[in-house]
Amino acid sequence: MIRNYLKIAMKVLLRRKFFTFISLFGVSLTLVVLLVATAMLDHVFAAQAPEVLGDRTLGVYSMTMRGPESIWSGFAGYQFLDRFIRPMTKLPSVEAVTFFSMPGTGISYLDGKKIESMVKHTDAEFWRVMRFNFLEGAPFTVDDDRSARFVAVINEATRDKFFGGQPALGKTLEVDGQRFKVVGVVPNVPILRISPYSDIWVPIGTSKTDAYKRELVGDYTGLIVARSRADFPQIKSEVQSRLKEAEALIPDPKMYKHLDGGADTLFEAASRLFLPGDSETSHSERLFLIFAGLAVVFMLLPTVNLVNINLSRILDRSSEIGVRKAFGASSWTLVGQFVVENVVLTLVGGLIGLVLAAAVLAGINASGLIPYAQLSLNVRIFLDGLAIALFFGLFSGVYPAWRMSRLHPVMALRGRSV
Amino acid sequence: MIRHLLKLVWNRKRTNALIILEIFFAFLVLFIVGTLGIFLWDNIHQPLGFAPKDVWTVAISMHQTTEDYDPNQAPAFLRLLKETQGLAPVESVAGAMVLPYSTSNYTGGTEFNGRHIRADFNDVTEDFAKVMGLRVTQGRWFEKADETTAWEPVVINETMARAAFGAESPIGKRYGDPGKDKNADRERRVIGVIREFKKGGELSAAGNYVFQLKRLNPLPAGMKATSLERPPSNLVLNVRPGTPVTFEEDLAKRLQAVAPSWSFEIKPMAQMRASAFRLALTPLVVGGIVALFLMLMVGLGLIGVLWQNLLQRTREIGLRRATGASRSDVHRQVLWEQLILTSFGVLLGSVLVVQIPLLDLVGFIRPGIFLGGMLVAMLAIYLLAVLCALYPSTMASRVQPAEALRYE
Repeated sequence: MIRNYLKIAMKVLLRRKFFTFISLFGVSLTLVVLLVATAMLDHVFAAQAPEVLGDRTLGVYSMTMRGPESIWSGFAGYQFLDRFIRPMTKLPSVEAVTFFSMPGTGISYLDGKKIESMVKHTDAEFWRVMRFNFLEGAPFTVDDDRSARFVAVINEATRDKFFGGQPALGKTLEVDGQRFKVVGVVPNVPILRISPYSDIWVPIGTSKTDAYKRELVGDYTGLIVARSRADFPQIKSEVQSRLKEAEALIPDPKMYKHLDGGADTLFEAASRLFLPGDSETSHSERLFLIFAGLAVVFMLLPTVNLVNINLSRILDRSSEIGVRKAFGASSWTLVGQFVVENVVLTLVGGLIGLVLAAAVLAGINASGLIPYAQLSLNVRIFLDGLAIALFFGLFSGVYPAWRMSRLHPVMALRGRSV
Repeated sequence: MIRHLLKLVWNRKRTNALIILEIFFAFLVLFIVGTLGIFLWDNIHQPLGFAPKDVWTVAISMHQTTEDYDPNQAPAFLRLLKETQGLAPVESVAGAMVLPYSTSNYTGGTEFNGRHIRADFNDVTEDFAKVMGLRVTQGRWFEKADETTAWEPVVINETMARAAFGAESPIGKRYGDPGKDKNADRERRVIGVIREFKKGGELSAAGNYVFQLKRLNPLPAGMKATSLERPPSNLVLNVRPGTPVTFEEDLAKRLQAVAPSWSFEIKPMAQMRASAFRLALTPLVVGGIVALFLMLMVGLGLIGVLWQNLLQRTREIGLRRATGASRSDVHRQVLWEQLILTSFGVLLGSVLVVQIPLLDLVGFIRPGIFLGGMLVAMLAIYLLAVLCALYPSTMASRVQPAEALRYE
């Protein structure tokens, strides 16, 4: 039966080439836009190298000091992380804890040419949590970090800029007036992977001053790797109670009274950032709803377009429908047939869309618009695309099919529409 | 005539409702694109207020938290200013809290005659107007002596002067109602008005702007310290035309030698301007391309649907032709029907869209710009609808009456 439908579907699609072209054009372009957006989100939020532990990692990202008149928000401060989050390693549910700064711009001059690099200050644990694939050398050690040795891990792009692509191990580079010895080289990490991203990674102790040690709100991030996702609620409430304890350290208790923050997954952190508000849990659901809502709104126009074209296409075939009805085909059979036809069409459009999306992503990677972007289609995104195409096919096929099934056989045979 | 056409449209209401819906969505897309486009076009045509040519910027990281302010910072900053001023390629140099084209903001609100007015602030040193080429239209810019007055002088832009003081001259007036100006440690007074200062650059909208003077030199005894004594985190300097890029390295070394514990990031303002443009235009260009494809899709879809509809109405058209209607009559009928459908879609869209300025949903865009966006969207959608109707209606008008009447 289905085989028969598929055969008819192919024949019909080839008969009205103009309509088929418009449908495919609409479906594939809509899918390109949705797939590119999905690929970007996947690139930011999904657990992938070097963040292989991403799925069971919570982060202390943004923090806010709040008082009756004033609000001071930023990232977590080192003092808070060091005194309240580091001891959490002792908890049985916590596997590892690592701290690192937001990347800052570091300037170097090499033979009269300026080189701008992003510099991130990290602890040694960072290299255990982020599984980088070292091209040369190895990460700096706990000992390097503790004694604040001027050593650095650099990425490929930095090696190319400073050493012309030659092996860099043991060589030195000067950034912002500080000289670092290269101990390791890693592949480039895209800027969208905000936790591992940088050009140069150096020990926290090499910071120019020790002001960071006194900050509750600053520019550090702490990541907590749990043994399993089931431990998340417990770790979250533990961080909340430690935040309460830390309120005693607020430097100016008249101005600021509360310390807000928490251990979040990356998606929760993003929702906290984009949707400020008081409620604790609903952020990520709201952000998800906004993403889904945007996708649906964006798909409305192509869907209406497709429904319109499908309607025209069916009415064109009213005599065929009349014959089938006259010979006893039920309305449901006809609806089924038409929906199958439409799904075939949207899946073909979906495949074209996937190919086009791959081309667009390659274009974005090559343009350098997003530093070190490695946007690509993976199985997850492919399945997403398929699901979107299927949804499209069903959604835009059902109404026209229903209209079709209601055609009166006698009218239909006479070639008259509803 | 119109009533008759409306009847024709009503007779095919279900098919037409979907076309109207499609036009409605297309109108919304065009409205968004049109409004943003006009918004930017309008912004570009408003004066910028400063000259970014030959200005270099230095962002300073003092690696200091806000709570442990170090009194040695101000003298160190003054040494930086002096060192930079002494370099041959530098014409003038000043300090600033916020740089033009940067994404950082520093805003505050105060009441004027009971009305709350928000403004962007910037704390600068004396030579800022000279470096940036600001044009003073009333009163005067800051002078050295202003650093030690018992009240704090401020210079505001014309937009702010109008918002806070109306048609009156703001010179010498108090900034903010007495007792309500919580953000300031002392009374503030307006000493001058500048034409404009669009911090966000050419593409941003003009807004209220207020300058305050940094007080980095030692204050007279007994004067209370305020946040204005903390050094600003940027330098702006005006270099002589034709200064080579190699001066940058030289400057970086000098600055690093004066303040070894600070980090410096030197950038020509032209570079900041370029990245501000890229930041604002990239999403717009991407959105524009997507909108273009959407419109192409809608256009092709409309042609297909119209064509199919007319094909089904071959007998009707044939009858009209047989009873004496000319080809252009048929042509006109199709076009008018299409225009009626479009008008319904546009009407629906306008009713929805007009709520945005009415309910003040997007505050920073003026109602006039929404109106412009609506007009652009209408024009574009009518054009699209007519273009899509042309080919199918030509095909329909070619129908031979005799053939049409026997068409099954």
